[in-house]
Amino acid sequence: MDFTLKTFIFYGFALLTIGSALAVVTLRNIVHTAFALMVTLFGVAGLYVFLQADFLAATQVIVYVGGILVLILFGVMMTSGRLEMRIHIERGQLLLGAGISIALLMLLLTVIANMPVWKNLTDDGRSLEPTTEQIGTMILQEKFLLPFEVVSVLLLVALIGAALISRKEVRD
Amino acid sequence: MVVPLISIILLAPLAAFTIFALFGLAKRSFPRQDILSTAAMLVALGCSLYLLNETSDPKPLTVEWLSLGSITLSMGFYLDSVTVIMLIVVTLVSSLVHIFSIGYMHGDPRYPRFFAFLSLFSFSMLFLVVSDNLLGIYIGWELVGLCSYLLIGFWFEKDSAANACKKAFLTTRVGDVGMFIGMMMLFKQFDTLSLYGTDGIFEAVRTLEAGQIAWLSAAGILIFCGAVGKSAQVPLHTWLPDAMEGPTPVSALIHAATMVAAGVYLVARMFPILTPSSSLVIAYVGGITAIVAATIAIVRFDIKRVLAYSTVSQLGFMMLALGAGSYVAGLFHLTTHAFFKALLFLGSGSVIHAFHAMHAHHDEEHADDNEDEHDNHSLVHEHGSEIPPDQDMRNMGGLRRKMPFTFFTMLIATLSISGVPFVFSGFWSKDAILGGVLERAMGWNSVHHYILFGVVLLAAGITAFYMFRLIFMTFFGEPRNQEMHDMAHESPWVMVVPLLILAALSLPVVNKWWFKEGYINKPYQAHVHEPTHAQLRPDSKTGDTNFGFSNFGISEAEAAEEEGGHDTEHADDAHHGHGPAHTIAMVLSIIVAGLGILLSWLFYHKRRFTAESVATTFRPVYTLFWNKYYFDEFYNGVLVALTVWKSRLFAKFDLSIIDGIVNGVATITRAIFAAFIGFFDNRVIDGIVNRVAKVIWSVGGRVRRIQTGAIQTYLFVVLGGIVLIILIFRVL
Amino acid sequence: MSLQHYLVISSILFTLGIFAVLTRKNAISILMGIELILNSCNLNFVAFSRFVEPAKNIVGRDDYLLDGQIIAIFGIVLAAAEAAVFLAIILAIYREFGSIRPDEVDTLKG
Repeated sequence: MDFTLKTFIFYGFALLTIGSALAVVTLRNIVHTAFALMVTLFGVAGLYVFLQADFLAATQVIVYVGGILVLILFGVMMTSGRLEMRIHIERGQLLLGAGISIALLMLLLTVIANMPVWKNLTDDGRSLEPTTEQIGTMILQEKFLLPFEVVSVLLLVALIGAALISRKEVRD
Repeated sequence: MVVPLISIILLAPLAAFTIFALFGLAKRSFPRQDILSTAAMLVALGCSLYLLNETSDPKPLTVEWLSLGSITLSMGFYLDSVTVIMLIVVTLVSSLVHIFSIGYMHGDPRYPRFFAFLSLFSFSMLFLVVSDNLLGIYIGWELVGLCSYLLIGFWFEKDSAANACKKAFLTTRVGDVGMFIGMMMLFKQFDTLSLYGTDGIFEAVRTLEAGQIAWLSAAGILIFCGAVGKSAQVPLHTWLPDAMEGPTPVSALIHAATMVAAGVYLVARMFPILTPSSSLVIAYVGGITAIVAATIAIVRFDIKRVLAYSTVSQLGFMMLALGAGSYVAGLFHLTTHAFFKALLFLGSGSVIHAFHAMHAHHDEEHADDNEDEHDNHSLVHEHGSEIPPDQDMRNMGGLRRKMPFTFFTMLIATLSISGVPFVFSGFWSKDAILGGVLERAMGWNSVHHYILFGVVLLAAGITAFYMFRLIFMTFFGEPRNQEMHDMAHESPWVMVVPLLILAALSLPVVNKWWFKEGYINKPYQAHVHEPTHAQLRPDSKTGDTNFGFSNFGISEAEAAEEEGGHDTEHADDAHHGHGPAHTIAMVLSIIVAGLGILLSWLFYHKRRFTAESVATTFRPVYTLFWNKYYFDEFYNGVLVALTVWKSRLFAKFDLSIIDGIVNGVATITRAIFAAFIGFFDNRVIDGIVNRVAKVIWSVGGRVRRIQTGAIQTYLFVVLGGIVLIILIFRVL
Repeated sequence: MSLQHYLVISSILFTLGIFAVLTRKNAISILMGIELILNSCNLNFVAFSRFVEPAKNIVGRDDYLLDGQIIAIFGIVLAAAEAAVFLAIILAIYREFGSIRPDEVDTLKG
């Protein structure tokens, strides 16, 4: 395995992603975890770039980092007072959760390692065209038009629902 | 042609009734039910007349109806000359009664229903007549009984009518039970209820040995029981006079011409199975009925009851004829009697109708009377003391001029029934019976038949006496009740025309044509001919000297030849041999009829003697006649009382013993079982239930803690489960 | 870089997300764990669409390589909607219970 710059950068992104994800699940301060999550999301975006998904990587950054993460931070601000910034953890629960998680990870890794079809599927090195135009065509004109519309409606409903749920009760 | 015609004959009256019933469902009535029913009967009459020539080759027309294992019951028609004659008699009399009723029943609140019932009755009777098997006959038989119940009780507001219809129904049921047992005996023996055809009962009877017919006699007598009930023979005759509570056209139709004729018809149909012993029983019952009813009729004052007892008496004549083997004579008398008795009833109806203005008044009184005797639980209506004034002959008299048509026609009928010779049909038929009985007596040298001949001769004389008594009291002399006399009037034409037609039918010329030569064949009769066949032969040819009716015997002789295969020499002997019997019978019958009429004339017209003085002289006899031989009293005092006593006994048995047992069982149960079961219930059952509940309660209390309400606990379980499942199924 | 690299990374992300959901005592932290899980799924979609070639003759076209990416876009949209609803629910719970600790919200406790 040749250790090229591209490989180096890939492993860098992989480590960044996993490490920050670890931070998300282990840090006690909720604001810290939020920022760790931001790093994780960036790392995933970088991995998307390695997968020739340029448009998706941009979307990941814009929507996740710019939208969802800000939303989460708002939630933190609105619900947690200064004293509750620290996340409370029970030891027994932590151990049990760790056990189940590790068992699950072992299981997944076993499956991945033993799946013959997936072995040796390496990057063929071909570079795709910029995907934005194709994705736009496919979503707006071709086979994904209907799912796109359905998802739009879903998003709208979710937003209206969220507004309805989160507003204060108006007693009449 | 036969089947569709019979179908029309049956279906026309049924359709008339069905239309009434369908309209009844809608709580309405067909606007002209009277026209409808009458038209239906006229159609049936037309078809019946057409069938007159269709009887040359009688064979049953059957369809399989019901399969019981290996036995198949069939329903079907059988059309021979007797059937056709009955069809014509029934449809003709029924049509005329329908027409008469249009006038007589006019204004009755249940006018349409009356006609519907008449139609249903006609259908039942016709069905009975054309059936080729005992089951069909029985169905028609019971339907006729039902219709008579409905029609006798037509004015059911009157207690007397309600009682009379119940009495009629129950009394005839007594006979029907016997008839049914007889049918079942035949069914058991022959595995069929069909009468005709190769596997019918009559064919089977031929093969019986002489020693095997004891049960056949019993079956014959039992079936005759049904006829005793329906044809009002002694001792089941008491319902018929009471049945005069029905409207008079009903009396004419049911109790003179057709329904009571059903009994005679049944005996005639079953003629082939009648053995000598059962024949003798039938003859005796008929003879006794003839004389008993005739003597009762002498002392009645109710015009309809005189006719009712006269009917009973005449039915006795017919039964006697059939019992004495004079098959043709019996049917002949049935036919002629149907016409002149219907005429007499309709004529009396006309008279009653003339007094109808009094009727309403009478009904009120009547209702009052009946309330008093309401406590009397007897089924028997005591009528002797209370005759409706418009039916009481003591209120009549001198109607001859007021109601000329009615008088004239009733006079013809009376002459006919009295046996006035030569121009009236009743003479010929009655003479045929008398001659037949005497022939049997002489032929068999049988004391029984000599006695019966004497009895029936006396009855014939008495018949002439009381019938002319009726005529003299009603139409001659001075009016006894001036008020009612003034109100009387001749009836409208719809009532007079049927009277005229029936009067014409009472003349022999009219009757002659269906009793033409060989039209009716005397059927084979089980073993009657065996011992005395040679003597029977003389019996066969009835008097040639009697114009028009000489030919019954020929057919009998022919029938005998077919059966026995005897040569014609015997027939010639027979021809010579029969003469005396019929001549003697005829002379005697003319003498007694003349005597009866003469006495009646002396008593009731000339007033040479008064009935009262005779009654005083023969007080016990008079009382016996007046009280109708105490039959009703006997039934009331013995049978009804016995039934009531038995019912009370059973009631007491029920109350004390059955109830005692039940109560005792209940007490024991309560005392012992209930205590034990209560203990068992409380301790064992409840214990089990409670214990189960407790266990479930405690388990639930523990299991409840699993439900922490914390989402993460659930997630732990879910994910742990997933891991386990994958481990088990994927890795292991 | 083979497919398995990406699968391992996404498995680790997924497991960490599960771990967060199971152990954190704060509703917003749980939401973050869910976001990790969703990201791992998206990464899987994209990786599979990059490396595994479906049978071309099914559709006979060349654009199948982008299907996974578009599904991932839909996944992101779903994540956004989910985050919005989740936060709204958290706000409502906070108003009702004064806390967003999941073990304190236990009115369904038996």
